[in-house]
Amino acid sequence: MNTQYKKGVLELCVLALLKKRDCYGYEVSEYLSNHIDIADGTVYPILRKLKSEGLVTTYMQEESGGPPRKYYSITKLGRETFEKEREEYLKFAQAVEILLEDDENDKE
Amino acid sequence: MTKNEFLTILANELKKNNIADAEDIINEYEQHFAFKMADGFTEEEIAAKLGNPAVLASQFESAGEAKKYGGKKAITVIGLCFVDLFAGAFFALLIAWEIIMAVFSVSNAVIAVCLFSGMSPWLLIPPMPYWCAAVFGLSLTALSVLSAVGCIYFAAFIRQLMRSYGRFHHNTIAAASGNAVLPSLAIHPRLPAKTNRRIRSAALFSLTLFVICFILGMIMSMISAGALEFWHAWGWFGYTAAN
Repeated sequence: MNTQYKKGVLELCVLALLKKRDCYGYEVSEYLSNHIDIADGTVYPILRKLKSEGLVTTYMQEESGGPPRKYYSITKLGRETFEKEREEYLKFAQAVEILLEDDENDKE
Repeated sequence: MTKNEFLTILANELKKNNIADAEDIINEYEQHFAFKMADGFTEEEIAAKLGNPAVLASQFESAGEAKKYGGKKAITVIGLCFVDLFAGAFFALLIAWEIIMAVFSVSNAVIAVCLFSGMSPWLLIPPMPYWCAAVFGLSLTALSVLSAVGCIYFAAFIRQLMRSYGRFHHNTIAAASGNAVLPSLAIHPRLPAKTNRRIRSAALFSLTLFVICFILGMIMSMISAGALEFWHAWGWFGYTAAN
């Protein structure tokens, strides 16, 4: 699938995960690549973009037996944006589904 | 591609694209390698799954681009000052109206209490039979509730309008200085559906009660005074009492 097209939706998916709990970058990457077929590295530019837009913040946390990890945490603005875009996306997806199924019916 | 090759290409590309905080980004990918290697993957496998480092580097947004809009900022700030003046006056007007409504609601409640208890502080309340006074009292109580409901809704409206304006203010400056713009806020208050329903039914109920009791009070007064213009008969508003 077209990566440019997927990127906006991936942002939404990352926010959905971070809404549940704070994660470090690798966790987000694993979570997404388990569900969606993307290159593992794509997640980091997305996280950085979300941070520069103020939708997520980061903090460092010491881990037992390892270097401190950078955790990503959703902000209030991130939640607001997520709710708004989630609704928009679901509506859009529904409309697309209807249009595409319509196409299938025409062929029969 | 080994870990070092991957990271070197990434670092070079990031530098070429003028990305701020490149070290931080490299660090994230280094950690990714560390986690995956702990899971038993080889460097080549990990690098292949991460994707092409040059493509990844191009997905990071350049920090240099945003600075271009800097020159417009001064004009925007001056313009905003004028807009703020007008908006400030407008908000003062809205708040004044809110205060008037609150005072109206409280004074109606006070008069209603006086009517019910038959008190007439400083003889402000004109004389009338108790049952007429009680019906007028009920009608004023309803009016007090109605204006209190109006007050509550209007307060929520002003609050949301101010938040919305604040967001607009923030976004205008952010756009002029090339920072990220936040999603705009709705003007109307978004109360929970339950609160909305309660406000609506309280308003409807009190409005109906006010109208019914007011008309009933007028009719009762006319009948007990025996005149259409009962205020003449009872000597209200400075008229001398007829009897």
